[in-house]
Amino acid sequence: MSAGRFLPLAGALALAVLGFFLPRLLGGSTLVYDTLVVIAIFSAMSYGLDIVLSDLGEISLAHTAFFATGAYAAAILTVSYGQSAWVAMAAAILASLALALALGLITLRTREFAFSLVTYAAAIVCMNVASNWDFLGGSDGIVGVPPLDLSIGPITLTAGQSFEFWPYAYALLLLTIYFVYRFRRSSLGQAALMVHMNPRLATMCGLDGNRVRLQVFLVSAPISALAGWLYAFQRSYVGTDLFDTYFLVLMLTSVIIAGRGLLLGPLMGTALLMSQKSFASLGAYGDKLVLGAILVAALCYSPRGLAALWPRMRRGPL
Amino acid sequence: MNLLQQVVNGVIIGHAYALVAVGWTMLLGAARLVNFGHGQMYMVGAFVAWWFMRLTGLPYPVAVVAAVLVGALIGAVMQRLLMRLTLSRDLVSLMIVTLGFGQMLEGAAGLTFGARPQTLTSPFQSMTLHFGAIWFTVQDVILVVATLVVFLALRLLLNATKFGVAVRMVAEDPVLTRLAGIDIARVYMGIFAFEGAAVAFAATLVAPRTPILTSMGFDQVVTTFVVVVLGGIGSVGGSYVAGLSLGLFTALFGALVSPAYTTAAVFALLIAVMALRPGQLAASANFAR
Amino acid sequence: MSARLEIENLRVAYGASQAVAVDRLVVEPGTLAAVVGANGAGKSTLVNAIANWSRAAPRVEGAVRMDGEDIAGRAAHEIVKRGLQLVPEGRGVFMGLTVEENLREGAPSDAGPGRRSYSIDDVYELFPRLRERRSTAGGSLSGGERQMLAVGRALRMAPKSLLLDEPSIGLAPRFVALLLRTIRSLVDDGLTVLLVEQNVRAAMEVTDVVHLLERGRLIASGPVDEMRDDPRIVEAYLGGGHG
Ligand SMILES: Nc1ncnc2c1ncn2[C@@H]1O[C@H](COP(=O)(O)OP(=O)(O)OP(=O)(O)O)[C@@H](O)[C@H]1O
Ligand SMILES: [Mg+2]
Repeated sequence: MSAGRFLPLAGALALAVLGFFLPRLLGGSTLVYDTLVVIAIFSAMSYGLDIVLSDLGEISLAHTAFFATGAYAAAILTVSYGQSAWVAMAAAILASLALALALGLITLRTREFAFSLVTYAAAIVCMNVASNWDFLGGSDGIVGVPPLDLSIGPITLTAGQSFEFWPYAYALLLLTIYFVYRFRRSSLGQAALMVHMNPRLATMCGLDGNRVRLQVFLVSAPISALAGWLYAFQRSYVGTDLFDTYFLVLMLTSVIIAGRGLLLGPLMGTALLMSQKSFASLGAYGDKLVLGAILVAALCYSPRGLAALWPRMRRGPL
Repeated sequence: MNLLQQVVNGVIIGHAYALVAVGWTMLLGAARLVNFGHGQMYMVGAFVAWWFMRLTGLPYPVAVVAAVLVGALIGAVMQRLLMRLTLSRDLVSLMIVTLGFGQMLEGAAGLTFGARPQTLTSPFQSMTLHFGAIWFTVQDVILVVATLVVFLALRLLLNATKFGVAVRMVAEDPVLTRLAGIDIARVYMGIFAFEGAAVAFAATLVAPRTPILTSMGFDQVVTTFVVVVLGGIGSVGGSYVAGLSLGLFTALFGALVSPAYTTAAVFALLIAVMALRPGQLAASANFAR
Repeated sequence: MSARLEIENLRVAYGASQAVAVDRLVVEPGTLAAVVGANGAGKSTLVNAIANWSRAAPRVEGAVRMDGEDIAGRAAHEIVKRGLQLVPEGRGVFMGLTVEENLREGAPSDAGPGRRSYSIDDVYELFPRLRERRSTAGGSLSGGERQMLAVGRALRMAPKSLLLDEPSIGLAPRFVALLLRTIRSLVDDGLTVLLVEQNVRAAMEVTDVVHLLERGRLIASGPVDEMRDDPRIVEAYLGGGHG
């Protein structure tokens, strides 16, 4: 391995290790653990949207539904059927893939505006079904999701309290980031970018735009679903509030605020938003106001994100 | 529950849908803007009227006027915020900004009006009219009449006034409109202010039917989304028809099939139409019809 | 009533590529000047930049003076109000509006000293065909009718100077002749016109001055009688047949 590749890799590893100890460095209180766990989970959720939004350039408003699908799969299988968290994880992935396939086929011919509208409508149908179908717990949701138990044979892997959750949430986050990193270097990732940036060239290179779109959509759904899966255990109950516009706005803001297409963008965005909520909260309403204002300001004044402001600021005063 | 009563309810709800949708229809037709903050603007309209009555003790009709003025102001503020994106026709970013704008309104309303459910009291809500087996309230009559008046007035405005022609020009081709010596930012300002005023007006007429909550925006108007997307892109008249049809559909579907899955059914209908006819959203030159 | 149009050091670029670099171009009051050049020479870019109007938002630098007043950089609708009117290439009318509605928006009758205002009826006088089609939607007009309407719409703004971008494109020869003759009559009435034309032969019949644009630069300018014999024009646009 050459030094040119070794250095960034070592840096990334060091950062990953440092990240693991971050909650302890920040004092290790329950609030810190809770916040960081939620940041990790919501970041993972946002990465699902990120690859559709940043790479494919389409805005999906259905990723709350994938997130909720993962959470509901976890809750139903562990509570109603007494299955293990592993089985629930497989179910979360499969269910989200099925939903994404259905939605992907429906939206195959829609673009931009229409794509967003249809995905939004789909999320509402899902919410309506979830709040009325007893199998999904109806409007009460499903309570009493057991503590996370991922033990394999003699190795015990469980988590109940928030500090116990951290390793799992952190692992999920790292895996997600690594996955997105690999995705952007894969032929599918390159194809998505080309379909987004230069559809005509993509067609000339023999790429089938619709196929690429569908594939990226399918890849993105399980990412958000896995975040939902873990969130169900962390919160120990699922309900229709998972479909709330709040999650949608949170996801969109996280992806957009730092800068679209930055590998760590959604993580930084989520961290910023959730830290405000945990450590500088203005109450539920105040936080909503802040979140909305950040999204509006980001899109109206710096649509390419905070990262784009940086060189401008450096140039500015001098 | 007889069927005729359901039809009457459907007609009333349908007019409510249409009235709630009219401003948004104009926004979508003229500026291609899907306003996800519409529900929160509805909520703010209802709360402003309630708050105004409580603070001043003035009667309901005065509160309606106050809410409409505040609504127009909110629309105008929104236009200022969205100006650059509107001019560049960045439709998708616009749509997301409205989501954020809705969150801001909901947060601000929660801070101002509190979390408790309230009632916007209209004296006409308790006056009921009975005709044999069917009944409705005077408020319902006002709602239906007001809706008809607003739609007819809007058609007249769009087809017979200078401002209306400017709106239709902007709808078709905002860039070319500049060459007619028209400041399109001002036309957009008018369109947004109309959206704000219209939804606030609708809220003051519809909200007395149920208790109001600062979190209600989404639930109250989610069906309006379908009215606007299905009907509004074709035309103003189309959204009236869509509103009425959807009102009848929800009333009858709720009574005959399942009240719980009405919203899902309505949205499934929308998805089917949009997936089968994605061209539906293409710019339409005759939305004033 | 006519205006002197003066362009200086005009530079227009789409992103990094410069499309127009014109050092000086003057249209004397009450005259007709034609800009000719090959496809992609920058003719549209030039007239659009003068009116500060474009669908593509290019970067524009330089001075545009009308009767000495610098109007460069003003918003397109303000420039229209000051009396400089562009009829853009291609679709210059609203398809969803009737002919009459297309003509409804106009300058106030007291637009300013020396500006001749045209009522809707004046436009119908000029193009009687439009009167017959007054309730027809712009989208249902023929190509020729559309161009008449576009010119009529422009006149309704009571311009002092008019920029026309290929008004004759796609028209039958008799329409071309009619349109250009009408434009000439407007100039004789005192309007200042800068005309972009592909149909060089037809343009030569009516214009006073010819400017030849190549790759964004003016490579030749002069009165029409001199330019008629200019080898660059003869070869490229008039062919061997010219007498
Ligand atoms: N929107 C745009 N983006 C980038 N480049 C452009 C754009 N419009 C025009 N150009 C370039 O600018 C140059 C001049 O184009 P312009 O349309 O002004 O030419 P023209 O002389 O009007 O041609 P035509 O006779 O075909 O109308 C061309 O090289 C063209 O490729
Ligand atoms: Mg041209």
